[in-house]
Amino acid sequence: MIELKGVSVKYSNGVDALNNVDLKVTDGEFVFVVGNSGAGKSTLIKLLLREVQANEGEVLVNGFNLTKMRRGKIPALRRTIGVVFQDFRLIPTLNVYDNIAFVLRCTDASPKVIRQRVPKVIGTLELGNKIKCFPNELSGGEQQRVALARALVNEPKLIIADEPTGNIDPRLSFEIVKLLQEINDQGTTVLMVTHEHDLVREFGGRTITLKDGSIVFDDYI
Amino acid sequence: MRISSFRYLLKQGFRNIWTNRMMSFASFCVLLVSMLLIGFSLLFIANINMFIGSVEDRNEVIIFLNDDVSDERIEEMNNTLVQMDNISKVSFYSKEQAWEDMKADIPNANELFAYIDGEGQESPLIDAFRIRVTDIDKMSATLMEINKMSDIYDIRSPGDFIDILSGLKSMIAIISVIVLLALLVVSLVIIYNTTRASVDFRKKEINIMKYVGATNTFIKIPFFIEGMLMGILAGGIATLLTWLGYRELTELLMRDTTIWSVFNVSSFIPLEGTLLIAMALCYVASGAVIGAIGTVMSTGKYLKV
Repeated sequence: MIELKGVSVKYSNGVDALNNVDLKVTDGEFVFVVGNSGAGKSTLIKLLLREVQANEGEVLVNGFNLTKMRRGKIPALRRTIGVVFQDFRLIPTLNVYDNIAFVLRCTDASPKVIRQRVPKVIGTLELGNKIKCFPNELSGGEQQRVALARALVNEPKLIIADEPTGNIDPRLSFEIVKLLQEINDQGTTVLMVTHEHDLVREFGGRTITLKDGSIVFDDYI
Repeated sequence: MRISSFRYLLKQGFRNIWTNRMMSFASFCVLLVSMLLIGFSLLFIANINMFIGSVEDRNEVIIFLNDDVSDERIEEMNNTLVQMDNISKVSFYSKEQAWEDMKADIPNANELFAYIDGEGQESPLIDAFRIRVTDIDKMSATLMEINKMSDIYDIRSPGDFIDILSGLKSMIAIISVIVLLALLVVSLVIIYNTTRASVDFRKKEINIMKYVGATNTFIKIPFFIEGMLMGILAGGIATLLTWLGYRELTELLMRDTTIWSVFNVSSFIPLEGTLLIAMALCYVASGAVIGAIGTVMSTGKYLKV
């Protein structure tokens, strides 16, 4: 669950990234966040991951109050969120299996849990024949599926996808959003940030439009 | 933390050295060169101090007494000298002994000595005390105190040489501290920058770790292990190179002993046994600490995500 109450973020260079934003995303929702460059989409993601802090207002994510949270608690928050980036951010020196298992190793999971969960997500995202490949041996779509598997393996309550289709062709973009919807169907909240309006129109659902740091549209299309 | 996680991190530390071998090699070289510079500087300073020490040992003050001093007065003067602060050794050198030593020192002069002996019963020389000072820097003050005593005919001391030696020793001590501190600072700066470049190379990896919820400790451990391993390796190699280099260098320098005999030096400080073990331990321990701290410090700025 995400809840923003009167949140404003102002950077040290004077830029008002978010202005008095109120937002509520309940568990199990699929939400598109759209907006032009500089609208505040990246700041919203950084805010939810506690990379930046709100100057005003209150931010609640998966039961954590980010406004009052100590730095030491950030890893616990991030373990409840799976993040998918536009540039995939896979570790080039690790193969597909290890890139996915990396998340669990980072979170001190037992070898048994790793052996159970990694093959499961590899199966879900149909990466079985690529487990020994390194990122540079994969196509853009395959790399994004690995990134998605990595986001899922920790069984997060919330998936934040930051322009996940930005670096792949339209056919694969469609496939990635479909995968995200399938994940959402199993109860995981998905917040997908995109600037591809065609994709939003194609899939529909709750859409939030940001402009100059404010929400100018929040409805189902 | 689970044992399996620690094992994984340990493996990562080893793996990182190989994966980032160019950067690891650069850090290793910087550590090695710094250690060699500091190690050889310390050995150089230790040898210089030993030279000065051996020259100091030869410095003797001779106090010549008036010809008519009684045995009681000599005993009294001996006691006074023994009680003085800066005097480590007092020995009475009788005129008879001095005459016998002189005869032994000058060969082929038996006729001359026989002629002088025939002239009178007593030695033509005078009684003296031979003393050694504890602290060469306080030589002048000690001489002034001795001069206050009566029945002294003359005092012969190394004089200016002592002052030069004393000044040289102080200068070397100051230069040693400055050189060592400068080397230490330069080494730390270079190591910090090299490891920072190495860490910078892996900022993407650290960034991903942060986003998936890894704790700072978890992120730092492989870097810590990596830095420590490189430091230990550099320390080991530095010990070997110092031992070999120092042995060859001292052997080369001792081929011509003439110059060293001036300083009353028969050999350099040998780098073996306890000294070698102590040096190896210092190298390895400092390498491990500097390597680990340098690497971990460099990760700092990437952990603020």
